[in-house]
Amino acid sequence: MRYQSVIAGFGGQGVVFLVKVLAICAGNRNIPFLGTENHGMSQRGGAVSCHIKIGDFSSPLIDTNQADLLIGLEAQESLRNISFLHKNGKVVTNADTNFPRLPFVTAKADGFALAKQGEFPIQALNVFMLGVVLGSIEDFPFSQEEVRTAIEQMNAKMAQQNFKVLEMGIEAGNRSKN
Amino acid sequence: MKQTLMGNDAIAWGLIHANVDMVSGYPGTPSSEILTTVQKIKKQLNLPMYAQWATNEKVGFEVAYAGAITGKRTCATMKQVGLNVASDALMSASYIGNLGGMLLVCADDPGFHSSQTEQDSRVFAKFARIPVLDPATPQDAYDFTKLGVELSEHFQTPVMLRPVMRVSHAREIIEMDDETNYQPKEGKFQRDIPRWGAVPRNDRYLQGIEQLKRVEAIKAYNWEHFLKEQFEKCQGKELLIIASGTGYGYAKETLSECGVEADIIKVIMPYPLPQDQIKEYTQKYDKVLVIEETYPCIEEQIATQNLFGKNTNTTQLIDEMSKAEILKSLQKLEIYRGENIYEALEISKEYPLPKVEARPPALCPGCPHRDLFFAITKVFKKKKAIYPSDIGCYTLGLAQGAIDSLLCMGGSVSMASGYSIADPEKTVVATIGDSTFFHSGIPPLINAVYQNHKFILVIMDNSTTAMTGRQTTAEREHKDIDIKKVVEGCGVACHEYFYTNELSKTIDFFKDIKKVYEQADGPVVVVAREFCVLDKERSKEFLPSLSVMVDEERCVACDLCVSSYKCPPMAYNANGKVEIDPFLCIGCGSCLDALCPTDAFVKIDKGDK
Ligand SMILES: Cc1ncc(C[n+]2csc(CCOP(=O)(O)OP(=O)(O)O)c2C)c(N)n1
Ligand code: SF4
Ligand code: SF4
Ligand code: SF4
Repeated sequence: MRYQSVIAGFGGQGVVFLVKVLAICAGNRNIPFLGTENHGMSQRGGAVSCHIKIGDFSSPLIDTNQADLLIGLEAQESLRNISFLHKNGKVVTNADTNFPRLPFVTAKADGFALAKQGEFPIQALNVFMLGVVLGSIEDFPFSQEEVRTAIEQMNAKMAQQNFKVLEMGIEAGNRSKN
Repeated sequence: MKQTLMGNDAIAWGLIHANVDMVSGYPGTPSSEILTTVQKIKKQLNLPMYAQWATNEKVGFEVAYAGAITGKRTCATMKQVGLNVASDALMSASYIGNLGGMLLVCADDPGFHSSQTEQDSRVFAKFARIPVLDPATPQDAYDFTKLGVELSEHFQTPVMLRPVMRVSHAREIIEMDDETNYQPKEGKFQRDIPRWGAVPRNDRYLQGIEQLKRVEAIKAYNWEHFLKEQFEKCQGKELLIIASGTGYGYAKETLSECGVEADIIKVIMPYPLPQDQIKEYTQKYDKVLVIEETYPCIEEQIATQNLFGKNTNTTQLIDEMSKAEILKSLQKLEIYRGENIYEALEISKEYPLPKVEARPPALCPGCPHRDLFFAITKVFKKKKAIYPSDIGCYTLGLAQGAIDSLLCMGGSVSMASGYSIADPEKTVVATIGDSTFFHSGIPPLINAVYQNHKFILVIMDNSTTAMTGRQTTAEREHKDIDIKKVVEGCGVACHEYFYTNELSKTIDFFKDIKKVYEQADGPVVVVAREFCVLDKERSKEFLPSLSVMVDEERCVACDLCVSSYKCPPMAYNANGKVEIDPFLCIGCGSCLDALCPTDAFVKIDKGDK
């Protein structure tokens, strides 16, 4: 298997957390992967773009026209990273109805609106969007169960809360397919 | 045992598994997590070891180096520009050598992600004549850490490990030792004055001869252990690729994805290279392409007619490597004639895309640095001032127009001296952080005091090294070390300001400082006691967690808050009025007072929410 995804957002949104969760998923199944993370300067609210390559790879970065999936925790950041996708690549983005039409399969969920309504704390937006991925991307390499296990391994204390948000994301993902 | 680890964590485990028991470093992206992880492992396994942040890289290097002289296995960690600071020590240590093992981990940052320069530490190793190992992946980083410590002990010279950011901050499954059977060596200083106390000319000359011999011996080792087998397997086709570090991974992937056949050599130790043996093999090829980050280190050692790389303009000269760039090199060599598979798809006009605005990093919402910069630029007007600054979170004060120049750590103070001499009409207001002040701000302050340079120095003391992930600073750990006393010890008064979220107080304080400055005939030094929002231990006592909004009726869109104060939650809404993004605002309340000319920022009663 070879699966390449870009996770985009801005500093403070917990992009690196998602890289770690997917890394654990791959590790648990003993599939090789290489991921890169942003630390340092870019963490101060700037644009963040992490890459994770699952399968037989030897370099950590994804080139443009190569990614299978783009997960965007914010609409502008999704658009900024759009060039990484190949022509059958897919987009899962946190966005409202103003998000432009794209020539890619796109799943949208308005995470900011839901957080504003108090559905989940804004810090859990990353987990919510991972749920949207699970609910909308059929060829995503990891199952809901595998992701739950990894989330628990990351932080057992927060696991139940995170599962709840993940579930909301999965439902939103399912809806976005229709 | 298999473990999912980031490169820097892998290096930390490598050090423990190599029985290193003195690790000393200075933070700097992308190297910082190495020492932090060592400290975590030390705590977790209760290991008897020294693992501490030094005040700067030179200090860190020298502490570790002395350990290696006594026979211990030691390590110094830093980022690439840190080696500039430690280089004086390194150059001599390379002549003198060590009895134990010393690994110098120097993390490079191709692509300038978090650094002022893109310098290649492998070239520095070559300059210092010490061997350097270049890991391609976190697994390599673990393996080479152990190897480097062994080699250092074997050849009695410091050895450099040079991970680039994409190794330090990459994550993968690593195979590492099952057990931690930690058996550090005892340190026993053996007096050997001609060696440890070598003086010019005779002793050092002899050590120089030894150094040259050592380099030859390491070259032979490099050939026997890392290169010979690889070269012997080569088929001698049209193209040979010689790659180092991440270059190997990028090259391998590009070859397979473009369907190009070539022999490929992975260089583990890019210096010193056994040129003669390598040249025997490179002769057999039409073309030899060197892929390395970021300077032509291997290329300049081999330098044959059929060799291509940076000096022939075949590979990129600057910026982080990519497969797209390697593909271009293959095209230039007329080896690959297919399409550019790494070119971004063109999105047709049917799908109009909006313009994506840049999102540069910014000071956190609630960061005290922002208030200080606002006050400084308000009291010391731009037209009549020069604002040299330094390296840290506060560098982001650039966005507020509160910084005119940046050089390197500590540079703000000496440059303030220089500006004050060269352009005495202007008021020079320099800013520096606490960690940077301890790192290299003290010698230039003494210089300014003794030569009566008139400028204002503001030490922004948040009691942490915030930019690189909040490593402890000297005064945080040891309360007797006090910046105020240090400044006074340099021979000048220290004006202390205790930060509060009342912006008017910060402004008033600087108005007073202006008066002091007018009467002064030497430097005027301020220490502002601040906090870092992300520093959980201290920030609570400073942050009131208010709910704040803009009263639209009152906002006249004067732009002051958005252009000069620049707290990230503030932005214009569809009505052309400023609005606060509640997700970003941390409710510090700094904007309530003295910022808006129409008092549009207001507190929301928690009950109303
Ligand atoms: C020679 C050198 N070493 C290390 C670094 C990495 N670095 C960047 S900023 C910084 C320290 C910042 O701490 P401080 O001065 O206290 O400011 P703060 O970020 O806390 O505002 C360091 C270590 C560097 N740029 N140059
Ligand atoms: S990390 Fe701390 S010092 Fe740096 S910008 Fe944020 S609050 Fe300020
Ligand atoms: S400073 Fe006040 S009036 Fe000016 S733009 Fe900001 S909120 Fe509006
Ligand atoms: S209260 Fe004002 S200054 Fe503080 S974070 Fe919120 S918007 Fe920024």
